[in-house]
Amino acid sequence: MTSIVRGIYQINVYKELCKACGLCVAWCPQDVLAADAEGYPITPHLAQCINCKLCERHCPDFAIEVIPPEVEVADVQSILHAR
Amino acid sequence: MKLQNSLILREYLRPQVLPTTWCPGCGLGIIMSAIAQAVHFRGLDKDKVAMVSGIGCTGRMSGYVDFNTLHTTHGRAPAFATGLKLARPEMTVIVVMGDGDSMSIGGNHLVHAMRRNLGLTAIVVNNSVYGLTGGQSSPTTPVGGRTTTARSGSFERPMNLEVLARAAGAAFFARATVNHTAGLTKMIERALGVSGFAMVEVISNCHVLYGKMNELGDAAEMMQSMDRTTRRINPVLLRRAERPLRLTWPGAPSWSVDAPPLEGIAEDDRTPRGVIFERKGSVDFGQRYYAMLEEIKARREK
Repeated sequence: MTSIVRGIYQINVYKELCKACGLCVAWCPQDVLAADAEGYPITPHLAQCINCKLCERHCPDFAIEVIPPEVEVADVQSILHAR
Repeated sequence: MKLQNSLILREYLRPQVLPTTWCPGCGLGIIMSAIAQAVHFRGLDKDKVAMVSGIGCTGRMSGYVDFNTLHTTHGRAPAFATGLKLARPEMTVIVVMGDGDSMSIGGNHLVHAMRRNLGLTAIVVNNSVYGLTGGQSSPTTPVGGRTTTARSGSFERPMNLEVLARAAGAAFFARATVNHTAGLTKMIERALGVSGFAMVEVISNCHVLYGKMNELGDAAEMMQSMDRTTRRINPVLLRRAERPLRLTWPGAPSWSVDAPPLEGIAEDDRTPRGVIFERKGSVDFGQRYYAMLEEIKARREK
């Protein structure tokens, strides 16, 4: 059994891609995510994240990403602005 | 294992056409993510992968992925894919169809693609309704399901793709849902390694048309209801694709092709999900075709 570590994960939301469907908020088991007034996800309790990636798996628009430390990620802003 | 979304975006999608035109919360994006991850975990070169799609919401998927793509006519995606696979047998061909596209308009193409057992990977997205054209009844609308063309409930018996695939001679059939995303990825990953015709039926949601008319709630509620309407039939579901897979376990009900499938299951009306059947050692059409070509060549040289 791996023990659950909290507080080391970062969550990125890419608003250019997000459609505010609310799936990530519906699936988050630790209440990390909440919807703002327009329905976009915000992370008021980021320290509770346990890296289950349910939000990332259920995001149909590739707009949310849980980033564990020392994992390769691409710079989405440069990908989107290069188009 | 989950490939980071930013890496999927960079490696397997065309960011210049994103965001997708699909409604917010549509399960098609989840399926597209699963396909990209399955190709990644299989270790396939994306230039050796071709995606063929028909018409419909699902047909738009070929515009967003950075493989070789063909957006073909309505229902004829298996026919185009057959030609592509015969011309380029080294390619991995993924056929993406919706339920109306594959089972009503392209019904005969699908049946004959399964009969030939050519090495294609078909992904049939089943959302019980014609989404793009405004919510008409499709061949998989359940009895009693209200649609635009069946205002007081559909009375036709829905088509069972699993039995059709079994009868027509497909080599592999699995059923996944967009709720169970890890299993979806692994089933597509398994299907990509099958030498004959492999089919993955993905139960998806159309909360905008079908869900609204039948009061099934929003996208999240519809997806979470798939936990109640389906049941997993492979407790040891899937491991990584390169390892040998055990489809049965001691004392399990047999789901092999030779045994009658529905005994003892009939009282459970939940849809089974998981790897439903796999025919091992079946010769696909491509192998026979190329053997025949060799034979003709040898006869001419004589």
